[in-house]
Amino acid sequence: MNKQPGVRGMGADRKLIVLAGAGLVGIVVSWIVSGGERFWANWILWFLFLLTIGLGSLFIVALEHVVGARWSIPLRRVPERLSSLVLIVAPIALLALLSLDSLYSWTSPEALANPIIAGKRPWLNVPFFIARVIACLLLWGLAWWILVRGSIKQDKTRDARFNLRARRFAPLFMIIFGITITIVAFDWISSMEPEWYSDIFGVYIFAGTFLAGLAATTLALLYLQSRGRLKDITRDHMYNLGGFLFAFTVFWSYIGFAQYMLMWYANIPEEVFWYQERIEGAWGPILLGLAVFHFLVPFFLLIPRDAKRDPRFLFWTAAIMLFSHWLDLYWMIFPVLDLGPLFGLPEISFSILFVSAALLWIRFSMTRGADMPAGDPLLSEGLEFRL
Amino acid sequence: MSDRKIFSVVGIFDSAQHLMNAIPDIRKRVNAPLEAYTPYPVEGLDKLLGYRKSPVGGMVLVMGIIGALSALGFELWTSGRDYPQVTAGKPLFSWEAFVPIMFEVTVLFAAFTAGLGMLLLLNRLPMFRHPMLRSSSLPLVTRDRFALAVEARGAEIDVEKITRLLQEFGAKSVEVVEEPAPAGVASPKFFLRTLTAIGIVCILAGFITYWTMKLFPIVKPMVHMLDQPRLNPQSPSRYFSDGSGMRMPVSGTVARGSVPYTIRNQELAGDLVNPLYRTETVLRQGRQAYMNNCSVCHGVLGDGKTSLTKAYGAKPANLVSQSIAGLPDGKLYHVIVAGKNAMASYSAELGEDERWATVHYLRVLQRAANARDEDIPK
Repeated sequence: MNKQPGVRGMGADRKLIVLAGAGLVGIVVSWIVSGGERFWANWILWFLFLLTIGLGSLFIVALEHVVGARWSIPLRRVPERLSSLVLIVAPIALLALLSLDSLYSWTSPEALANPIIAGKRPWLNVPFFIARVIACLLLWGLAWWILVRGSIKQDKTRDARFNLRARRFAPLFMIIFGITITIVAFDWISSMEPEWYSDIFGVYIFAGTFLAGLAATTLALLYLQSRGRLKDITRDHMYNLGGFLFAFTVFWSYIGFAQYMLMWYANIPEEVFWYQERIEGAWGPILLGLAVFHFLVPFFLLIPRDAKRDPRFLFWTAAIMLFSHWLDLYWMIFPVLDLGPLFGLPEISFSILFVSAALLWIRFSMTRGADMPAGDPLLSEGLEFRL
Repeated sequence: MSDRKIFSVVGIFDSAQHLMNAIPDIRKRVNAPLEAYTPYPVEGLDKLLGYRKSPVGGMVLVMGIIGALSALGFELWTSGRDYPQVTAGKPLFSWEAFVPIMFEVTVLFAAFTAGLGMLLLLNRLPMFRHPMLRSSSLPLVTRDRFALAVEARGAEIDVEKITRLLQEFGAKSVEVVEEPAPAGVASPKFFLRTLTAIGIVCILAGFITYWTMKLFPIVKPMVHMLDQPRLNPQSPSRYFSDGSGMRMPVSGTVARGSVPYTIRNQELAGDLVNPLYRTETVLRQGRQAYMNNCSVCHGVLGDGKTSLTKAYGAKPANLVSQSIAGLPDGKLYHVIVAGKNAMASYSAELGEDERWATVHYLRVLQRAANARDEDIPK
């Protein structure tokens, strides 16, 4: 089961490597042409996009262990493999630290003249920021080691003690996840506008992260099925995934709207300016697009019971949701540049580089272990799951 | 056999497989609803019994949309028509403020439809005693047997034919279950009727309260907002020992940013010149100030007709009347600063620029109320 000859074609890998090379040339050119600020904005955007997919997948895995879910055991290997993105994200995050000078205005000494930023000094200072980034990366690596590597090893050892270990660690991971995802939200995104206050922002990013993990898991699962793998996963399993997608698109909208409405109502300068920058001009239609494609379209598409069981339908819905998640991050990050919505050479080359590199990495992770957690003693119970 | 109506004819089968084998044959030969009773959920049984997809989903969707729309309509009516009042400088139709209530009412309608639709319409509740509960078949089902019931549901069924069929297709024993004896006063129907009556009384009470308060404003709603501990203008207070609630300004001083206004008489104020130009920004500022401070009494259109007029017997001036439209800017400005009749001074609420901008906006309202043909944009 470990190697699947014929399924993983080397041709596709070669194409992806060529594409990644072209993207790499593109981002170097874009650095020269359009400068460092836009380069780093793209860098942070793609770093967070890959991170949220990986972290969201890791959360799905941990959630299964916490609640003792059986239905998701047969498809657990998909989020387990996707969660290896949290490993490849480490060098990207460390390089992203170079963007502190150009994108994060609180690093400059003049920022201290603003009493709000000066008051946030104990949290927003460079040494502590770097320490938090490294601590987060280490914690995610540890969680991946325990939950995912342990599960892959179980394929051979068939040792049921892994389940007990995972069940003990997963609740702890929930706490780690809650704290680190909030740190990601506050440090990497909201501190780009250091005067801004929003307590709920971490929850908002969590909703997007879980949704990104779910959408990516659904896409990968349905793609694998279309290539003849994971045939034992039924439409009832898909129905559950679809239900999760439906629930958390509503949750994302709920949190997003709650944040918007409270700020709109209170109308306090240090809160509303964030939305003002993201509504005015061409950002308005993008925000509207988010409301439509991140909420309305998936919401109404996923209402019917049959929609959640139809692989093709579910595939395209999940694709829309993953794209909207990217748009969500773009809408949060790019207004910092104060240049309006941009989509030119830098954005295209970054998309090509990061998508092809991520796909290469995911294709490589897809060969790790068996397609299903074969050593899990409860696997057969999961396969028997019916609605 | 008694003369009570037949509820169902129940056949007992030894295994799920026997039951599943018998269902298609019996369905072909009997034109009556089937119901199965099993000790555990049996995969695929619902399809064999010919259960159609539950209509609850569609009902919930429709009622959810109706809930959202009725909440929106109610909010538009209350805050836009029945009691228009500007809060925190927001427009009367603020969709942001409407969304939480629309969300709640959508959920309420959808949840009630799902719960009550399932219980009352599909599960035929309230049914205090299901006839099966007193049959001798049910104890067997709770152990290890499988039962198939051919139900009458009010229609006549051929008991002997069905008994024969059940036995022919593998039923080990057959029982005829009768409808229970008609209940006394506490019947399901009585229960439902009482609930409906309570609902109707609640709705009627709501309407009666609303119209009573509307037509007879002696009963004031939400009195606690009127009778709060506060400093009322021109009334004694025990806050300071001299009986007033605030201090007079120290003589010979002027507050920062304020220009002293010394004109005591509205006639003398007529010579004041409006220092602001009629730009779009000024008119917008004037509209905001007017909506926030003046529209409560003088009305959104300035005609002095608001719900407050009727409810409290106040007679605010009609600002678009010919007599007021003929006043010079300075006299209008004077009223904002000094107040008139029952109207208090608004010098604390509005800065100097805002007062003049409000005067400009009043001219807009007056022009709009007396529009001529050439005012209509081509």
